[in-house]
Amino acid sequence: MSLLRIIGLKAYFPTQDGIVKAVNTVDLEIEKNERVGLIGETGCGKTVLGFAIMRLLQPSTNIEGRIMYNGKDLLKLSEEEMRKIRGKEIAMIFQNPPTFLNPVLKIGYQIAESTQLHQGLDKKAAKEKAVGMLEAVKIPLSSKRVSEYPHQFSGGMKERAMIAMGLACDPSLIIADEPTKGLDITIKMQIVKLMKEVTRQGSMLFITHDLGVAAEICDNIAVMYAGELVEYAKTEDIFKNPMHPYTRGFLNSLPSRGLKQIRGISPSLIDLPSGCRFHPRCDHIEEVCKNWHPEMVECDKGHYVRCLQYG
Amino acid sequence: MRIEYVIKRLFYCFLAFFVGISITFVILHLMPGDYISHLLINIESTISPEASEAFKHKFGLDKSLTEQYFIYIDNLLQGDWGYSFEYGVPILNIVVEKLRWTLILLIPATLLSLLIGVFIGAYFGWKSGSKLDLSVLNVMIFIRAIPSYWWALMFVLIFGFYLGLFPLGGYMGIGVLESGTDYLDILHHSLLPMITLTLCSIPGNYYLMRNSMLLTVGEDYIITARGKGLSEKDILFKHTVKNAMLPMVTMITLELVFMISGSVFIETIFSWPGMGMLMIDAMNARDLPLLQGIFLMDTLLIIIANFTADMLYSCIDPRVKVGE
Repeated sequence: MSLLRIIGLKAYFPTQDGIVKAVNTVDLEIEKNERVGLIGETGCGKTVLGFAIMRLLQPSTNIEGRIMYNGKDLLKLSEEEMRKIRGKEIAMIFQNPPTFLNPVLKIGYQIAESTQLHQGLDKKAAKEKAVGMLEAVKIPLSSKRVSEYPHQFSGGMKERAMIAMGLACDPSLIIADEPTKGLDITIKMQIVKLMKEVTRQGSMLFITHDLGVAAEICDNIAVMYAGELVEYAKTEDIFKNPMHPYTRGFLNSLPSRGLKQIRGISPSLIDLPSGCRFHPRCDHIEEVCKNWHPEMVECDKGHYVRCLQYG
Repeated sequence: MRIEYVIKRLFYCFLAFFVGISITFVILHLMPGDYISHLLINIESTISPEASEAFKHKFGLDKSLTEQYFIYIDNLLQGDWGYSFEYGVPILNIVVEKLRWTLILLIPATLLSLLIGVFIGAYFGWKSGSKLDLSVLNVMIFIRAIPSYWWALMFVLIFGFYLGLFPLGGYMGIGVLESGTDYLDILHHSLLPMITLTLCSIPGNYYLMRNSMLLTVGEDYIITARGKGLSEKDILFKHTVKNAMLPMVTMITLELVFMISGSVFIETIFSWPGMGMLMIDAMNARDLPLLQGIFLMDTLLIIIANFTADMLYSCIDPRVKVGE
């Protein structure tokens, strides 16, 4: 049995301009000790998917489908039961630590909070644990740093603190939402190394738009476009043999492969294109692509693609 | 760094104080009429021009305004607030005596209105959008829209006159002539003006706290807190209220200004022997030195409150400590 199994997940937000279909029928599985990368452009629904698993979306969001975690459907749990899972079994590492860390609380307190809550540690033990966590994410002078506030930390250190917060209770699943966003390249590589190290045991859903980072960390990669998955395969297969035109375009846009951009802009999630969602930007478009919405098909062993070329 | 910050703040306080008393001096001397002409209405022709001249000379009123101003500042720096025309005693004595009575109303009213306003504001900022929230908002607008003296008059009428629960005014019953000072009696007299003052100050605190809560609830770190599995209660008290309280610290100072001006009306209506009533009396008598003294005391109070708020702010918000 897989640790997390998402079946037919949809997340729609009602807004004044119409319904934003941020996640559209996503199926995804994460095994124990598996690290899955979820990649896609900004605004394709990656973060919403992560938030949906944690059930952190606004109450007005329409969520359909099932999110099976250890045999339980997270969407059917009461708020009370869900609270016992958040932070303890599934933890999220949020993007943009400057706004996701509370500016008036000490870093140590913010890390200790969840261990006090979920592991029943007393104040002193929780603080010691927080020092240990900061050490684990390689923050120097951790016993002093633990009593400092977020504004006293540098950008990279805030990210480390955020990771320490997520890992504090040894969760079985970590959802990391672009933990390397906005960091400069040397710090980014340090964080990637750290993430790889600290998640050796345990599963992770690694959300990013950075293919290079995903390649470093993940076993499998799911490519998301306009709210749905368009390709899923082992990391090396994605790089060696990308099948979906979007994945190929995405790879070609890497600096090492010539920075070729995909023409057009990513579609609005309110007004999705008919047929294949990618057809307005695709180079291999045929008449049928405009009307027929392709399904995910397994082309190679463990390599799934949503494209009519392969169906 | 800390010391530098304190010194910088103190310097600004001194500057504000100086500007404050100078503006007061100018405005007060722009007022039509003076003490002599006020007296003349009462004693008409019995006063001789010589006596009037002698009076002016004694108090230095025959000197030019600029000269008077410099003498005033010079005296102030030596701790001399001057003499009241009307009472003929040092102003500092009168002001301090009356200030005590004002503070009896002002301190509980400020604390109570803050406590109640912050509490209601925090709760409805957290649970915003409900029907109850909208009703409370409307009630608060109603309370604030009506001037404090109207509330004072209504309360005297309803609770004092019709229901007879409270005295109509004053600060002690006639009984004290026999039994000596009765603190319970003073409390009884102070209750109605205190309630009025409190009521009129609640909406201001409530608005600010509610708005501040609304902003804080939308912050990303609230999502982080929820993502840790914290209960709504913990999120409210540990992650939201402290952050939302930050602007309140500054508000306390502004609120104090509002309360001091509000107490002028309320003290007059309830015949409460505080600074507010003293101010009205001094105004009517054109007792400029006394008025100047009253405003000086108000300025001092506000500046001290402001300074305290600044210092307090750096204790609550760790980011201010650097003294930027």
